[in-house]
Amino acid sequence: MTTETAIFRVDGVTKSYGGVKALDSVMLEAGVNEYLSLLGPSGSGKTTLLRVIAGFEVPDAGRVYFQGRDITGLPAHERGIGFVFQNFALFPHLTVRKNVAFGLMYGGETVSAAETDKRTQAVIDMVGLTGMEDRGVDQISGGQRQRVALARTLVMQPKLVLLDEPLGALDANLRGRMRNELRAIRERMGVTFLHVTGSETEALAMGDSVVVLDRGRIIQAGKPDDVYSTPASPAVAHFLNRFNLFSGKLSQGVFTGPFGTVAVPKATRAADDVYAIRYDRVRAQPIGAVTSGPALKATYIASEYLGSSVMNFFETADGKVVEVEHHLSLGAPQTFEPRQDYLLTWTPDQAIVFGREGK
Amino acid sequence: MESRVLKPILALYVAAFILFLYGPFFVLTILSFQQGPDGGPQFPIIEWSTYWYQQIFGLTPPSRIAPLPVGEALIRSLVLAFMTMVTSTVLGVMSAQAFRRKFRGSTVVFYLIVLGMMVPGVLTGLGTSLLANNVIGITRHWYTTAFATHVAYTYPFAFLVMLAILNRFDGSVEEAAWSLGVNPWTTFRKVTFPLIFPGVLSAMLFAFTLSLDEFPRSLFAAGGTEDQTLPLAIYGTFSVEIHPNIFAFGVLTTLFSFALLSVYGVLMGLSVRRARKLAMQEDIA
Repeated sequence: MTTETAIFRVDGVTKSYGGVKALDSVMLEAGVNEYLSLLGPSGSGKTTLLRVIAGFEVPDAGRVYFQGRDITGLPAHERGIGFVFQNFALFPHLTVRKNVAFGLMYGGETVSAAETDKRTQAVIDMVGLTGMEDRGVDQISGGQRQRVALARTLVMQPKLVLLDEPLGALDANLRGRMRNELRAIRERMGVTFLHVTGSETEALAMGDSVVVLDRGRIIQAGKPDDVYSTPASPAVAHFLNRFNLFSGKLSQGVFTGPFGTVAVPKATRAADDVYAIRYDRVRAQPIGAVTSGPALKATYIASEYLGSSVMNFFETADGKVVEVEHHLSLGAPQTFEPRQDYLLTWTPDQAIVFGREGK
Repeated sequence: MESRVLKPILALYVAAFILFLYGPFFVLTILSFQQGPDGGPQFPIIEWSTYWYQQIFGLTPPSRIAPLPVGEALIRSLVLAFMTMVTSTVLGVMSAQAFRRKFRGSTVVFYLIVLGMMVPGVLTGLGTSLLANNVIGITRHWYTTAFATHVAYTYPFAFLVMLAILNRFDGSVEEAAWSLGVNPWTTFRKVTFPLIFPGVLSAMLFAFTLSLDEFPRSLFAAGGTEDQTLPLAIYGTFSVEIHPNIFAFGVLTTLFSFALLSVYGVLMGLSVRRARKLAMQEDIA
């Protein structure tokens, strides 16, 4: 992606709070009409990054560019960047219509009353709030508040909308529906969305590309399926919450871990030697079974029914919990005896190995 | 079990407290209906009458007891209290707004502001009068020097009230307004102020009542007889002889305070409904 098509660019932004670096020379860029999701655990600096782009915080170092212009020193209200808050931050003393019209009525550009009414109504219709215009924002449901927050931002026709965990306050059912709607609305408006989330499923499902942030640094950026299938570091694999991670020793193409010794033809360079195997790649076998690959003795603890799959939890001798996922589309799940030992195994070439020896 | 014993005791305690609080007012009220002009400020009540109320409004034939010299003093006090209320509340809101962000020397400034309500009023009054007379060389008036001391006294109250309100204020609604292209001043007028209005009302009430009631600062800072505020005028009548007209006047001012409180209560009730909406919104976060 070249700078010409980029809608915004964050260049080496650093921000500290009382000596703790929330952002550490972050570089980030997004194109026009793109859905970018920013994944990170709490405390990774993802909200700070969003607030720096919005102009609520001034970075200690680095520049922020928007539509080719350096906006680092520009106050928030002159930026023309939309922001959707996790708690929605609706104006509690105003009706739905007044909330949506707020920016048009009091913003920097003068919009005629007729134009304001027209645009407000159009956006209210688009987000499906028709008929609720004169209700107070305390008289509508959580999902409807979310729509008001979105409508209020979109009515200003920004080129970039920042969303700070916008689905975090909604229940699971609503979250699923709003995900689809967010995507659909964004595509219709042709706006760039930068969506911050702590949920790996949300990040993978919604973004055209995913950026993973950890301790104020971007540790991976790419297409969701690339990030998912080839995490760049043990930390990314950890955030994706889909991998069993084992530490051990990688030496001359051989990884020695709690499951024995496995030949590793290909390893990714990382600071630590870590062996990662996806939950759904692990199989559990009776203790006497013959395995050709790695074998890890573990005690069955419990299982969780997840609808389309079953998650089985095993505990190794050193107390580490290993998760084994069984997709129900592949047949009925195995039944395990509680407190019984099983042999966990997998096909070695499905593992992702990180290590100092890697490339 | 515990509450069966504790509750009646506490109820009794509260009842005693309220009795103690309103006891003087009851006595005052009863004595204000003393017969006039011969009845004195003590029991027993010779005959029930509204003579002293009529006397305040100049509805009685002239007698040896002069009418209370409070008319102009009352107007002065009300105007002064209003001026003080507006100034202190504006200052209080503005400075509390400034304290939402830590700035260099904020602790020192905080204590300097709060000091205004801590220093003995007599000293402030005396100091102000010396400053006006000997250092600057201006005449003291209720609307100049006394006004300054009243603001210095009530501003900390308004400031502390607003500080508590803004402490609990969720700034994300302001940021939301900015991100919609609305400048900070309009955001304050259209978002922040409507939401902190209950607090502003409380600050106004504090400033107004404290100023209306103020004695030691006015005593020195207000100047001559033509500058007397209501408390000074009332105190002045004590030095001669006390008549039940003072009590009647006390009852009227207390009723005025209740009326003021009722207005405050109604306005508060209206804006609390708003605050509840905000609280609901915060619960989601």
